[in-house]
Amino acid sequence: MTVNNITQIQRTRPAVDRNQLLVLTPLQDLKGFLFHHLGRFLLFAVTCSSVFLVLLIFFFVVREGLPFFMKFSLSEFLTTKSWYPEATVPKFGALSLIVGSLYVTIAALIFAVPVGILAAIFLSDIVSLKVRDFVKPIIEILAAIPSVAYGFFAVLVLAPWLQNKFGFTTGTNALNASIVLSIMALPTIISVAEDSISAVGRELREASYGLGATRFETIFRVIIPAAHSGIIAAIVLGMMRAIGETMVVWMASGNANQIPSPWWDLSQSVRTMTATIAGDMGETPKDSPHYWSLFAIGVVLLVMTFLLNIVGEYFLASAKKKAGKS
Amino acid sequence: MHLNTRQITDKAFTVLTGASVVLLTVVLLIVLGPITWRGAKAVIFKDTIEFRKMQFALYHRGNYEDLQSEIAEVHQFRDAAYLIIDEFKHGIDTDELIDESKQIYRQFGKELKYKGTSGAEYQQIRSLAREIRDKLQATFQSNDKQIIQENIDYILQYRTNGEFVDTAAAGFFTLGEDFLKSVENIDLDKRQEYAGALQKVEDIILHLLGPKPDDPVPALSMDRYGATRWDLAQKLLDQLLWSEKWVQKEADQPMIKVRTLRAEQFEGTKLEPLFGYVQSNLDRMMKPMPTFYWRYFIDDSTPGHYFGGVGPEILGTLLLTLLAMIFVIPLGIISAAYLVECASDNMAVRIIRMGINTLAGVPSIVFGLFGLAFFVLFLIPLFGGASKPCILAASLTLAVLTLPVMIRASEEAIRSVPQTYKEASLGLGASRFRTFMKVTLPAALPGILTGIILSLSRVAGETAPILFTGAVALGPLPKSLFDPTRTLSYGSYDIAVGDRLAMMVPHKQYGMVVTLVLLILCLNAVAIILRAKVFRRLRGN
Repeated sequence: MTVNNITQIQRTRPAVDRNQLLVLTPLQDLKGFLFHHLGRFLLFAVTCSSVFLVLLIFFFVVREGLPFFMKFSLSEFLTTKSWYPEATVPKFGALSLIVGSLYVTIAALIFAVPVGILAAIFLSDIVSLKVRDFVKPIIEILAAIPSVAYGFFAVLVLAPWLQNKFGFTTGTNALNASIVLSIMALPTIISVAEDSISAVGRELREASYGLGATRFETIFRVIIPAAHSGIIAAIVLGMMRAIGETMVVWMASGNANQIPSPWWDLSQSVRTMTATIAGDMGETPKDSPHYWSLFAIGVVLLVMTFLLNIVGEYFLASAKKKAGKS
Repeated sequence: MHLNTRQITDKAFTVLTGASVVLLTVVLLIVLGPITWRGAKAVIFKDTIEFRKMQFALYHRGNYEDLQSEIAEVHQFRDAAYLIIDEFKHGIDTDELIDESKQIYRQFGKELKYKGTSGAEYQQIRSLAREIRDKLQATFQSNDKQIIQENIDYILQYRTNGEFVDTAAAGFFTLGEDFLKSVENIDLDKRQEYAGALQKVEDIILHLLGPKPDDPVPALSMDRYGATRWDLAQKLLDQLLWSEKWVQKEADQPMIKVRTLRAEQFEGTKLEPLFGYVQSNLDRMMKPMPTFYWRYFIDDSTPGHYFGGVGPEILGTLLLTLLAMIFVIPLGIISAAYLVECASDNMAVRIIRMGINTLAGVPSIVFGLFGLAFFVLFLIPLFGGASKPCILAASLTLAVLTLPVMIRASEEAIRSVPQTYKEASLGLGASRFRTFMKVTLPAALPGILTGIILSLSRVAGETAPILFTGAVALGPLPKSLFDPTRTLSYGSYDIAVGDRLAMMVPHKQYGMVVTLVLLILCLNAVAIILRAKVFRRLRGN
């Protein structure tokens, strides 16, 4: 039966012209050459769309923000604290917004970095693969929960709890925002740090154990110094995640335009750049100073994250280079 | 000793790292637990007869005859409660009684005219009627039981007068008698106090049972029904039984909540049995029944999400994400194919990688600004569309946002296809394009699919980029791609902090966000399972 089938197939197919030379004609050759290069170029063009989009983003955000920088002074924008965009003599001092953003970000990192690095060490050096496969989904779920759900949690669950438990005047404050931001930054920090810690060669670990060091000593004296650039990259990327976050800080930070004083008082409300854009853009007419100023804040955000990105890339690249060497 | 400390530090460190992971797990449970628990109540709960009435009126669900017989059943029990209130109110609500007496007087006057009574006689009877009316009104306003008794007795002597028998004026006497009966058990000095307290009781009863059958139908649908949920009914019952007051017992001390039985306020009055009656007959008045309200996921909602579900929100979210995926999938796969198959490590490729990384790092709100400035204000007007936020602009913005995720995932998937596959295909004489289409892509497809699902879940949850480009909190269903839409993500924001009405229905608040989280977690679970399968297969090879 099968043999029959095969012979049938052979019969129905046209016979190969055995006399044809296995050399391409010049035309075929040219065609192939053109197709190859044309196809390559097309693919390249499509791939360039990412770069093109980045340029578009910069161009359009700067274009809408430019009138602001032409009309108002940049130094006043960056160094004064009074933000009264709708007053008859509008004042655009974004200092407390910038400080607010950095404030909650750094507070979030203070919570997230130790936990994140410890968890990364736990996953890479301490437990077996099986436990790892069990823990990884937890981190993935934490990363997958949308920011608005975290914001919802911050407003309706965390804020009342903080208010009742610690007697704060308001539950939506810098502490609330930074706790939730730290939860959101954790998955990024853990996965990048774990990658770089795992990438540290076996030889280094074995050499250290061979000298009689305990695991704690090996990790602190050998592995972390060896993986330091990857860990710094993890922190920088976590910081980027926190500084660019909008919904959580908008919902949880209280949106009070002030710099906390004394500076360590996390129970005060703050206002961040992202929350200002999100909150004000809805009721701002196009081509008003207020509208331009929001785009100007967007430019500041864009520049900040761009610089952080470069720093992060630098450390990631150097971590990769080191891992390649060892 | 030294070794000991080293070992202890080592152990302590191990415990510490373990503790950090436990902390993560606890955080996950704390974040998801309460939200899920409360959100589930939007779908699984005990409904009441009011809920079934609402479902029938708004969506024509349920059987009309069954509903009517149920309504008749509960009204037996409700009428008794209304009766108690009405009887008590008779002695309390003097304004109403005075109005009633005025009405009777007017009616009586009309009757006299109709009968054609002569002028002098008419004047005489009418002045007598006026005297009775004024006496009655004075009685109603009096706080002295002695005076009331005397007045009523005085009035009742006219009962048998020929002028009044079988006329409207007979109403005066029943009114007076009823009043006398109803004030028997009331401390008249407290009448003002009772009136205030009764108002509260009536409010609670209104919220619990809805408007009475013969009341006019309220304009807002949220006012048309009583407690639609059994838990709400029990909360209202608690409010009915207990009155809460914040009092300051000592100076400089925080206020304390004091609960007193409401029945004590009405001790010895005709209203007192009401509380016991409602408490013991609540289930007969409300007919609670466990429901699985799965239509929550397809129903439209009334303003403020007071009734109904999240159907339009789910639809909008799916529309936005799928549209964004249509834009981003080809772009992502082609870029990834170029980066893996063709790119060498030259300047151009390095710039492209830099671009992708930068794109991945742009804050989501800046994507929103970009979408507003580019798609809404520039690109769509360029092609002749109206310059307003719409689904198209929002999904394009989301596509830009998720492009790096898509490229990275596809790149990883394509890169993980073993070199031997490609070599075998090339060795058979297939061109590189053919090899990619027929060998590499099918082998990488599950991995790419994982990437697609992951970016889908990312897009579904994003809020900031669509704030100004196409999301609204309230509005009709979109008719075309050039209309804005409701989405789960923006809806979750709005229902949590923006909407005053929604604060009254917490289960709806939580229900919305749980729907969003569940949708995303399901997508992620699919992606994780798919990836595990791919991983096993590649490992097997």
